[in-house]
Amino acid sequence: MADIIIRNLTKKYGSETALNNVSLEIKSGEFMVLLGPSGCGKTTLLRCLAGLETPDQGEIIIGDKVVFSSADNIMSPPGERSLGMVFQSYALWPHMTVRDNIKFGLDVLNTPKNVSNDTLDSVLKSLGMKEFENRYPSELSGGQQQRVALARLLATKPPVFLMDEPLSNLDARLRMDMRVELKKFQSESEATTVYVTHDQTEAMTMSTRVVVMKNGEIQQVASPGNLYRHPSNTFVADFIGMPRINLINLTKKHKDGSVFINKDVQIDVGWVPASNEIVLGAHPEDLVVSKKEIPSSEKYSVTAVLPNGPETIIQLTRGKTAVIARVAHDSSFNVDESVYVNFSVSSLNIYDSKNGVIIEPSNN
Amino acid sequence: MNLNTQKRWLDLNLRRLLLNPVNIALTILLIVLAYLVLWPFFQLVFETLTWGEGDRRFSRDAVPGEFTWFHWLQATASPISEKMLYSPLINTLITGVIATILALSAGGFLAWCVVRSNMPGKGWLQPVLTLPYIIPSFAIALAWETVFRSPKVGGQPGLYESILGVAPPEWLSYGTVPISITLAIHYFPFAYLLVAGALATIDSQMEESALISGAGKLTILRKITFPVVAPAFVAAFILTFGKTIGQFALPFLLGAPVQFHTVATMVYANLALGLDSLAFVLAVILIVISLISIWLSNRFIKKKSSRFETIGGKGFRSREVNLGQWRWPVFSVVALFAFVVGILPLILLAIQSIMLIDGFYGLENLTWHFWTGKSNPDIAFGEPGVFHNNNIIGATWNTLKLASLSAVIASIIGLIIAYIVVRKSDNLLANALDQIAFIPFLFPTIAFGAMYLTLFAEPVGPIPALYGTFTLLVLISVVSRLPYSVKTGVTAVTQIGKELEEAAEVAGASWGMRFRRIVMPLASSGLTSGMMVSFVGVMRELSLIILLITPSTRVLMTAGFGYAEEGLTQLSNALVLIVAVLTIIGELILWWIGKGRMTRLREKL
Ligand SMILES: Nc1ncnc2c1ncn2[C@@H]1O[C@H](COP(=O)(O)OP(=O)(O)O)[C@@H](O)[C@H]1O
Ligand SMILES: [Mg+2]
Repeated sequence: MADIIIRNLTKKYGSETALNNVSLEIKSGEFMVLLGPSGCGKTTLLRCLAGLETPDQGEIIIGDKVVFSSADNIMSPPGERSLGMVFQSYALWPHMTVRDNIKFGLDVLNTPKNVSNDTLDSVLKSLGMKEFENRYPSELSGGQQQRVALARLLATKPPVFLMDEPLSNLDARLRMDMRVELKKFQSESEATTVYVTHDQTEAMTMSTRVVVMKNGEIQQVASPGNLYRHPSNTFVADFIGMPRINLINLTKKHKDGSVFINKDVQIDVGWVPASNEIVLGAHPEDLVVSKKEIPSSEKYSVTAVLPNGPETIIQLTRGKTAVIARVAHDSSFNVDESVYVNFSVSSLNIYDSKNGVIIEPSNN
Repeated sequence: MNLNTQKRWLDLNLRRLLLNPVNIALTILLIVLAYLVLWPFFQLVFETLTWGEGDRRFSRDAVPGEFTWFHWLQATASPISEKMLYSPLINTLITGVIATILALSAGGFLAWCVVRSNMPGKGWLQPVLTLPYIIPSFAIALAWETVFRSPKVGGQPGLYESILGVAPPEWLSYGTVPISITLAIHYFPFAYLLVAGALATIDSQMEESALISGAGKLTILRKITFPVVAPAFVAAFILTFGKTIGQFALPFLLGAPVQFHTVATMVYANLALGLDSLAFVLAVILIVISLISIWLSNRFIKKKSSRFETIGGKGFRSREVNLGQWRWPVFSVVALFAFVVGILPLILLAIQSIMLIDGFYGLENLTWHFWTGKSNPDIAFGEPGVFHNNNIIGATWNTLKLASLSAVIASIIGLIIAYIVVRKSDNLLANALDQIAFIPFLFPTIAFGAMYLTLFAEPVGPIPALYGTFTLLVLISVVSRLPYSVKTGVTAVTQIGKELEEAAEVAGASWGMRFRRIVMPLASSGLTSGMMVSFVGVMRELSLIILLITPSTRVLMTAGFGYAEEGLTQLSNALVLIVAVLTIIGELILWWIGKGRMTRLREKL
């Protein structure tokens, strides 16, 4: 219901830069996930959006309102930014009942009593919390507390939702259920959502787009599919994917050739990248593993077999180069067995080993 | 950013800073507290260094308002210095040191018994052992007088003489010995709490691991127990000493009849004689001694927060030392001691208050006159009993009004200061506020009273002369409670997560609404007990306000002191007993809050 535009945002804590020149456009109704390792500045960015932190530089526009601008001396307080927020700790008020917790936001807006009551009832019902409305937060389970935090957000129907790792305090099962539910409420409300997490599965399953951050800087903004298939640098490539992507340092064998080698392996990437020193990114499922010899393959030995439900992860080595491959759960590889491996050329990503940035096959 | 936008950016920040209600509160509080805490001290020092109107009596050179060393020279190097300063100073130091040694020995021994031994009856002995600190120190002095009063100095014989038939030696009735002992009785629970706190912090595992590594019991005591307790012990010594020197009513009652003065009583005596500037010199000297002792104690307890650490309640169990066959003997000694210092004084006061002629112990001498009697010209110069005495009823009303007003105001201001201090911990001004609010703790109470006497004697700008008004009493009581209420507030606010408030902020709640609906309710349990502590503290206060009281603003303690000065022992005993009982009720309510409601609320947090 509202676009969010962030321009050149910088936030420092003393000498430490928590956000460095961050720019980002979020479209109305989008589910944007901020993803990155702990300490990368996700929470800081979210809090700057909320108005709980004052950035040092830059501009933030929510909907058609400039809520922060260092150039134009604008800093709207949180309450005037038409947004709702779910905190990592839920921040439920312990001295108020579930109903009063949800009602608070409506009180602030001076909602007439009958409207407020109707809203409360419908929100409580839709979250299945009606029977708990008179309980105190301490008398609820973690999942129920989470729902109250969500209800508090939904009651005032803000056009922007901000959520800081809202599921991180739940156990794994509950987290799965809540993901589905959160997604449902978000799409029903059509609110523009900025969602912080360090859990890539959460990011990939819920988002329309993902922002990957590192050290206060944005590394990549992409849809989950694109992010997975084309990580734009080795950091993102390494961060996304479970099990991890294979990153292999290689050198061009012949000038203007497409074959790259290191001491152990030789791979034809199928086109000619501009750089001579590259890092090859190959997802575990991009390796074709066969017991019989297949074209343009090399012989690896199996060093570990890790069955994992519907798939099996195997570790393969050739000399000192080790790679991970994902194979079907019914394939029968054994440790120390020799196998033939071929990299499916069309799925490979190639990075310049100098700066780790992806090299696009631009001239073909 | 060019220069122009940079300037505007600064303007914006400045405007936001200035309009933020927290910053407004911070600024106002800083100014008000500077005026109420720092300025009176400078004013007091200033008074000692200038000629006053009354000084024309002493010197023809006196030009009121002009600078002079006269008062300091008069106090330190004149024929009256010995009587005015040196002898009271020596008395103060001697009684202070003896009292502290006694208090610490008793407190230390009891702390060890309660914290580290398996003595029976700890549960109910502990509250009885803290009684002497809860009731006004004046009550203990009155009880002492009841027993050891000597007709040689005047008045009726005490219990001692009535039973033994001979008068007690004068050194037992008045002067160094009784003052030291009664001070020790009043302060040993304070020392007890300090030492018990330190003892409780020794993790038994520390000792046990040493035991396992093969160390002998003595080695453990020397290498582990002692080094941990020693700093607390030294600090307890200095803090206790610092507290004794500000005591006024107790040494006055047990010293003045034989011309035995401490610095504190001398301040009062000089003011009574109209020697104001000299009194102020003595007050400054008291403050300096107090500052030195607190500074010393802080050197021993490095942690800043420990300066208040009087309550040990850590709640974890240390390994108990088995007393074996000594269990019951130790219990008997402790129980007897607890009875003598905690309960007996109150019983004595009660009995005294129903004796027609004090000093004559017999059933025929008992009367309810001093409680329920109407005015009778033959008894006590016609002063009616407590329940018919307008003087006393007015004082009771004033006491309750003063204590409750001060407690409520001090707690709320304390909470606001605490809120600012906690939420703006990186702000220099907020830190300054924290420090200033703590300063009243450093002033001996009678000296603090002297400061307010000088500050509010005349109107200054828009502030009227407050001397003689009830407002002034509330003001000084509130300010003197601030160090404690800020401390309580900090504990309360620290427990309220920042996100709880931010959640309300995002919902659009203004600062006022957040403070009212989130911070206040969540801090309320701490606030309530803090209020009760202040209520009790103000109610039993005498030294702080004695210099500021006028007949219309008298409270129970000052009325009781007045009766004692007039020799109307029964009435003064009755009044002090009332205060003692009220404070005990207050403590019981506090205890009840602590046990019941507060823990329940805390579980909810
Ligand atoms: N209030 C603060 N004071 C000082 N440094 C902070 C503060 N908040 C965050 N930081 C620092 O900023 C960086 C980013 O923190 P944060 O945004 O919380 O990371 P994330 O949420 O991605 O884990 C971290 O290095 C953190 O130490
Ligand atoms: Mg975070």
